[in-house]
Amino acid sequence: MIKVQSLCKSFNEITAVKDVSFTAENSVVTGLLGPNGAGKSTTLRILYGLVKQDSGDAHIDEFNVHTHRVEAQRRIGVLPDSHGLYIRLTAREHIQYFGRLHQVDENELATRSDELIRLLDMQGIADRRVEGFSQGERMKVCLSRSLIHNPTNVLLDEPTNGLDVMTTRTVREIITELKNQGVAVLFSSHLMHEVSRLCDKIIIISDGTVVATGTTDEIRESASEENLEDAFVKLVEKVI
Amino acid sequence: MHPILAVFKKELIDGRRDKRAVMSAFIFPIMAPALVYFMLTAIIELRDSSKSITIPVEGAEYAPALIQWLEERDVTIEDFSGDAKEAVKNKDKELVFIIPSNYQEKLKALKTISIQVVLDGSRTDARPTINQAGNLLRRYNREVASLRLIARGVSPEVMSGIVETEVDVASKQERTAQALNFIPLYIILAAFVSGMGIAVDSTAGERERKTLEPLIINPVERYQIVMGKWFAASLFSSLGMAMTLVLCIVSMLQVPLDQIGLTFNITVTQILAMLIATLPLAFLAASMQMFLGIFAKSFKDAQSYIGILTILPVIPSLYMTFKPLLTQDWMFGIPMLGQHLLLVDILGGKSVPMIGYFLSAFSCLLLGIGLSFITAKLFERESIIAN
Repeated sequence: MIKVQSLCKSFNEITAVKDVSFTAENSVVTGLLGPNGAGKSTTLRILYGLVKQDSGDAHIDEFNVHTHRVEAQRRIGVLPDSHGLYIRLTAREHIQYFGRLHQVDENELATRSDELIRLLDMQGIADRRVEGFSQGERMKVCLSRSLIHNPTNVLLDEPTNGLDVMTTRTVREIITELKNQGVAVLFSSHLMHEVSRLCDKIIIISDGTVVATGTTDEIRESASEENLEDAFVKLVEKVI
Repeated sequence: MHPILAVFKKELIDGRRDKRAVMSAFIFPIMAPALVYFMLTAIIELRDSSKSITIPVEGAEYAPALIQWLEERDVTIEDFSGDAKEAVKNKDKELVFIIPSNYQEKLKALKTISIQVVLDGSRTDARPTINQAGNLLRRYNREVASLRLIARGVSPEVMSGIVETEVDVASKQERTAQALNFIPLYIILAAFVSGMGIAVDSTAGERERKTLEPLIINPVERYQIVMGKWFAASLFSSLGMAMTLVLCIVSMLQVPLDQIGLTFNITVTQILAMLIATLPLAFLAASMQMFLGIFAKSFKDAQSYIGILTILPVIPSLYMTFKPLLTQDWMFGIPMLGQHLLLVDILGGKSVPMIGYFLSAFSCLLLGIGLSFITAKLFERESIIAN
């Protein structure tokens, strides 16, 4: 479970996150929806311990992400904003490196990486160096290395950005699969159809504050609009 | 697997596959000793005085005694006729002696005889021959002068009021070590050159390729990441140093040092002592480079900072070459200078005080740990990790 309370974070003069509170429960896919620069990435970065909030609290399960950073990080699998890979390592080596940093047992590491490679349909590229991988292949490597330790909470920052249809499908299937396993999935996106299709719960962020929370239907109702996109635009404009 | 070990292993695999890093790490240890070998061999050939020389002589028939004396001293005499100046200028001859036709006349009259030595002062390759020929003429002069005095019942000792006798307290090995001053310098340089690729790649490189953010999301303390990287870079650096040391020694053993009156002997114990003396420097060099690397946004950026850093180790060695200081214990505590002094002493076969090893290792490791600690702190900074 991921719990965020009154988060606030500024960089120099710019306030990226003003007041964000929400909960992402287990077995639920929660979508963080908002226009570019709304504070989605910053919220996620606070959650995975990359930046420190100015005020407010963030918890992964019962661990405070700031005071118990490492404990909190053990419980999350993250697909961050930057998809950097080590060009001289193979896909499998990437998965294993991250598994070892999570102190996954060596035997389990071998079986689990095989499993992920199969799940993401990476058999053909698993032992090739990642230099020259396509966008989709790189994304698969990033995704598999973030799931190697069987996290109970998964954070995905714009997971389908720039992917082709096939890979997007795989990512969607994995999100559903994680949900069925009881994982709390939190993902950010600015793609309306993606969010409405996958999420059980939507949190709309605009200008660093939460403007609406609920299911697709609830959000449409609260904005009294027929489709989600119109509701989104209406809610966001109200703030700005 | 412990996180430090996991990072260490990954950096080693990554570093080994990085052709750029491997090239920069191991070209120096191979090139430096080879260069030294060729330079020293060339210098020795120039300074070698045991070589027999050939002197072209014009008017040899006027001074048969001198010619015979020279021939007894392994000089090949070549009759010369024609324009001596032209021949030397055209580099046909290294030098020409011109013996005047009134040689015997002047000799009998006990007058000073002038023998012209035609030479080209701008030719460095002819220098050894010219010097040797000049020395021989001066020696012959003393013999002639002595004979003239004896003929008058005067002891030749009258001519030499004072004679200097050099008593060199330096052992032959120490003199050799002095002449091989560049070996410590090269080994110290190798520490900085060999670990650079991996130190920069694992700091500035991570930032440049945007791999730093995914990396630090893992449940690992930042100091553990820094330590893994530090040890990997230090390993490359120490391998480079060890290679430079061993190859320098191998090439020194091939150089005919005995021809210039020096001997180079080295025992396994000395080699081990040198390795122990320099090892801490690898850790310091790597920590310095990582510290600078983390500030840089790209590999190129980092290389320009670190290029300047490479001048640093040369300073103590150069200073010692031009203005040698009397070694005092505290000097071992100055990183790089300490290693330089240790290496010179070990090479010279002197017994090195234990405090020397201790101080130099202690100061290097302390500074290295300090810098790595700061680097780990920098890894916590949002401006560094979050672009």
